[in-house]
Amino acid sequence: MEGPTKRFGNKPQIAFFDFACCEGCQLSVLQLEERLLDILELVDVVTWREAMSEYSNDYDIAFCEGSITREQDIERVREIREQAAILVTLGSCASGGCHNDLKNQWEMDEMLALVYGDQAEHFDTIPSRPITAVVEVDYKIYGCPVSLAEFVTVVKRILTGQSYEPPNQPVCVECKLNDHLCVLEKGEVCLGPVTRGGCDAICTGFGDACQGCRGLMDAANVGAMLKALTREQAHAIVRKVVERYGFTQDDIETKLRIYNNWPELNLEEIAANDD
Amino acid sequence: MPTELVMTHEAVPGFFGRLIDEGPVMGPRERARQPGFHHFDWLDSADDLVLEYQTTTIPPKKAFFPPRDVLFEFDLTDPPEFRAVRDATPFTLVGVHPCDLEGLRLLDDAYAQEPAEACWPANRARARIIGVDCTPDEYCFCTSVGSCHSRAACDLFLTPIERGRLVEVLTGAGEEMLRVSDVTEASDEDHAQAQQWRDDKEAAVTAGLDASPAEFADLLATGDFTDIWHEISSRCYSCGSCNTTCPTCFCFDINDEFDLGLTGGRRVRTWDSCQLAEFALVAGGHNFRRLRWQRVKHRWHRKFDYLYREFGTPYCTGCGRCSRACTADINIVDVSNQIIEAARQGVQG
Ligand code: SF4
Ligand code: SF4
Ligand code: SF4
Ligand code: SF4
Ligand code: SF4
Repeated sequence: MEGPTKRFGNKPQIAFFDFACCEGCQLSVLQLEERLLDILELVDVVTWREAMSEYSNDYDIAFCEGSITREQDIERVREIREQAAILVTLGSCASGGCHNDLKNQWEMDEMLALVYGDQAEHFDTIPSRPITAVVEVDYKIYGCPVSLAEFVTVVKRILTGQSYEPPNQPVCVECKLNDHLCVLEKGEVCLGPVTRGGCDAICTGFGDACQGCRGLMDAANVGAMLKALTREQAHAIVRKVVERYGFTQDDIETKLRIYNNWPELNLEEIAANDD
Repeated sequence: MPTELVMTHEAVPGFFGRLIDEGPVMGPRERARQPGFHHFDWLDSADDLVLEYQTTTIPPKKAFFPPRDVLFEFDLTDPPEFRAVRDATPFTLVGVHPCDLEGLRLLDDAYAQEPAEACWPANRARARIIGVDCTPDEYCFCTSVGSCHSRAACDLFLTPIERGRLVEVLTGAGEEMLRVSDVTEASDEDHAQAQQWRDDKEAAVTAGLDASPAEFADLLATGDFTDIWHEISSRCYSCGSCNTTCPTCFCFDINDEFDLGLTGGRRVRTWDSCQLAEFALVAGGHNFRRLRWQRVKHRWHRKFDYLYREFGTPYCTGCGRCSRACTADINIVDVSNQIIEAARQGVQG
């Protein structure tokens, strides 16, 4: 097995960077607590604004969180890409799409005026996009925020020179493997059947519906969701949901848009794809 | 005829309490966070046990094959070291419905096929099993596949009667579980009440296949039914819940997980599902069932055609879990009957 020291010659130097986001993913990583100490046996953290005051531009692995929302972000992330042997996107903002992208539904001028009022001229903004839309990345960790277990898995994969493919199966799989009760049984709508898993179904485990924070999986059958949740005749469990919420196509679209508005969500188009 | 005795209502808690004192007992109990919903889990006391419960999301096969099962641990020393991870503690599984008893029997057969799987029989040998009779709901169709009155795999079987439970003693292990104080002789009246229960149960099963398993296997083979599979798959999420809840599905995936120190780890196997997009993806990138409709079709052929021909019985116990779990409303009975009807009308496409 190729060990960490072999891959990087020495203990690899790690840096964390944030772009437009809530920084919740970094905060989650800090919540690793004792496990963080185990990771620090294997790597040196040289830059991490949220956790330390030291700073270095000499690093091997960059974890980048957040969305690209300004021209200067593009430059900055390209510089990071240039320096880092390995670039990892941390969280849905950076990896696939997140709340920031919601603003793309409106004109940028309008958005600036809405947020900054008469100071708008001092700011610039571009349509929000994940880091994956701007530079090549080596590893992606979805989630809003990331799951700690998946973060640790990816760290281990990086250090042992293995690739990591984010799971391409819906949250329902992990929900069942954990023997959670399907929230539809309680009459709630869940985006789990079309959402990329990997979170170990944490939300449904606590009895909450999946909000789709990891984005649509590849070949997600959104058309099936429209058929199941908006039709009048459905089996008892689904019917309860339909009756309770009177779900419409717009409702589903609104829910899906939160994490899937990059590139702009086109429900008709994705619903038509039932490969 | 197995011996039949009676356990009165008063004797039931004492009996199960004693089993729990003797060792771990898994059975249906209320979910901690969702009152009113039940699942199979370890019981802390006889009060936890719920003998009248609606079919659980996950079948009791999880007692013998947990959804995530550590096979062995390893150290990356030179040479590497391996340590088998096997729990040998005897336990008791209680409250199993007839369809789920049948499910255990089907998995016994499947895992015994050469090259035989070792963990399943080892875990089965650790356990005593007590079955209970049940009340069907709209998804149950055990009468169509012959599992309605199954007594497979169990040592004792309990049927509700007025003064308690009629106890069928099916094995020596079952006999050993009972103490003189637990049971009394069964009267003709007790027998008659148990029979009445079984008759009522059978009559209450409303869902059903429109063909016998043998005929259905033949009908499935008469055509491709591609149009039907396309229509069904246009509604299918490929979420795999129909497999991960099925008492007869036996597929798994195997992964090695490293410890954080990267000096060792464990090999873990996890339940898998043929409905997932990457189930039949192989090295080199070819996917044998890349298209959703191919996977949907495959499930029906596994359950009612291929395995029927291999084992002489459909790999479906009629438990209805796949239909209950399917949030896309794809119902195994409805789809099967659609195929049966199309085949009888000579539709092949
Ligand atoms: S993915 Fe979510 S938690 Fe992570 S930084 Fe973005 S908004 Fe915050
Ligand atoms: S709760 Fe959501 S994720 Fe879980 S099985 Fe139901 S639909 Fe799927
Ligand atoms: S259950 Fe859904 S919302 Fe919750 S963490 Fe998983 S993907 Fe995100
Ligand atoms: S549970 Fe339903 S939606 Fe999910 S894979 Fe099975 S048939 Fe398709
Ligand atoms: S196929 Fe469906 S009804 Fe048949 S045993 Fe599996 S879960 Fe139960």
